[in-house]
Amino acid sequence: MPAVAQWVKTLTFYEILIGMKATFSVFFHRIILRDRRAVTLQYPHEKRDLPGTYRGMIALLRYDDGTDKCVGCDLCEAACPSRVITVISAEVEGEPMKRFAKEYYMDMTRCLFCGLCVDACPVDALAMTKEYEWAVYNKRDLRLDKDQLLAIGDRNFPEREKKIEHQHHNVATFNIGYKNFPPKTS
Amino acid sequence: MDTLVFAGASVVKIAMVMGVVLLTVAFLTLAERKVLSWMQDRMGPMEVGPYGILQPVADGLKLFFKEDIIPAGANWLLFSLAPILSFVPALIGFAVIPYGPNQAIEVFGVTVKPFVISDINIGILYILAFTSIGAYGVILGGWASNNKYSLLGGLRAAAQVISYELNIGLAIVGVVILSGSLSMVRIAEGQAGGFWHWYLFGGLQIVAFVVYVISAVAETNRLPFDLPEAESELVAGWMTEYSGMRFAFFFLAEYANMILVSCIAAVLFLGGWHAPTPQPLVVYLGWPHLAWIEGVLWFMVKVYFFIFMFFWIRATLPRLRYDQLMRFGWKVMLPLALANVMVTSIVVYLLRD
Repeated sequence: MPAVAQWVKTLTFYEILIGMKATFSVFFHRIILRDRRAVTLQYPHEKRDLPGTYRGMIALLRYDDGTDKCVGCDLCEAACPSRVITVISAEVEGEPMKRFAKEYYMDMTRCLFCGLCVDACPVDALAMTKEYEWAVYNKRDLRLDKDQLLAIGDRNFPEREKKIEHQHHNVATFNIGYKNFPPKTS
Repeated sequence: MDTLVFAGASVVKIAMVMGVVLLTVAFLTLAERKVLSWMQDRMGPMEVGPYGILQPVADGLKLFFKEDIIPAGANWLLFSLAPILSFVPALIGFAVIPYGPNQAIEVFGVTVKPFVISDINIGILYILAFTSIGAYGVILGGWASNNKYSLLGGLRAAAQVISYELNIGLAIVGVVILSGSLSMVRIAEGQAGGFWHWYLFGGLQIVAFVVYVISAVAETNRLPFDLPEAESELVAGWMTEYSGMRFAFFFLAEYANMILVSCIAAVLFLGGWHAPTPQPLVVYLGWPHLAWIEGVLWFMVKVYFFIFMFFWIRATLPRLRYDQLMRFGWKVMLPLALANVMVTSIVVYLLRD
């Protein structure tokens, strides 16, 4: 009996008709009943809501008075697994304890957006934004310098962290109060 | 004078049919992408014009302005000839298709049949002959490209088109036996008077119909029988090296062939322009002079049903393996078609008056 049923199924194209019913039901729901929607997102016109933990373009941040957060400690350079970051550190003129990043380069062609540099930064000077539309015509445009990275930070984090001076302002500071951790705004 | 009027009327008819067919072809490319995407939870082209309506125009302009490349080592003559060889036979078959009622009207004293370009008494053989020539375009295009993928695609097309054309021919024989004529107009006229007179139901040509539809899908190299241009195996098959307008010609030929086989199916099995009711519906409404409009509309509905089925099948079924394709063609379709011819001829012989 199963053999006969199999023959009947073969002769009536049973399996093919089942498949065609499946495709037609999708078509029918899309076009006639209109209770089914395409999964497509019309990308340039509509964009996904990114999760809060999205790791996009990396930015350098400033304090609210406009000074760099970065103290030129090179820890991000050490943490980076792809050797993206180049920091050239320097002293502030006449204040030998106070250092800053004279030049700061990120070669984003190599970056794998792991976020280790952000984790490594002791002063929270680095942050990951949700920018991802960074296609360029010349790949050298992706070697970003300090100004470009600061600009990315400025446009993505308009609310800046307040700079607290809990030491002599001549001394290099990590903006970490051991007890009174300032509330993060961005 | 009469000859002049007749020639003029013929030229007008040819221009009309060519225009309609090429326009339909252009928008079939859009329709196919849209229908496929609707069946697959996608949107299809949405950028050019509202809901992507103008996509065929954009495609045509792009293909027109693309660089025309002839690969080094290609046979220049055959490479240029192949797209024409596959495009012209696809269009030339439309000459014998009856699009509407076979009624004559008088134009300047000359009787003209407005819906049939030419009613030759071997219409169906003429179409079969020219679709066979279309296969040469594919084979020569594949061979002349000097590319292994093109050659493989051309070889596959040769084997596939030849084996399935045999089935098409044999499937048609049943209808030809029933109608006693090879003329498309006579075949369609034999099916007047309700859907139980159509050869699909009245002539019990269901087996022939199934064989014909499957073989037609294979003959036009469409999924699930698109082995000659199997994208996942052969880049684009015989079209791999073609670009610009030459590629467009192959593309147009594929869709024109689709319309052509749909027209043949509508005429041979579904009664051509005849309504499923004994009289056209407008006759019941009391407007018998509008019957020709309804005839053309019924023909269009039937043809578009087949074209939709092409899309539908494409959205559903995966591609066959090559040996499965050949085994199916020779060991299943061919015996079925032959058995249908035998049974039909015996029954017609016994039931003849």
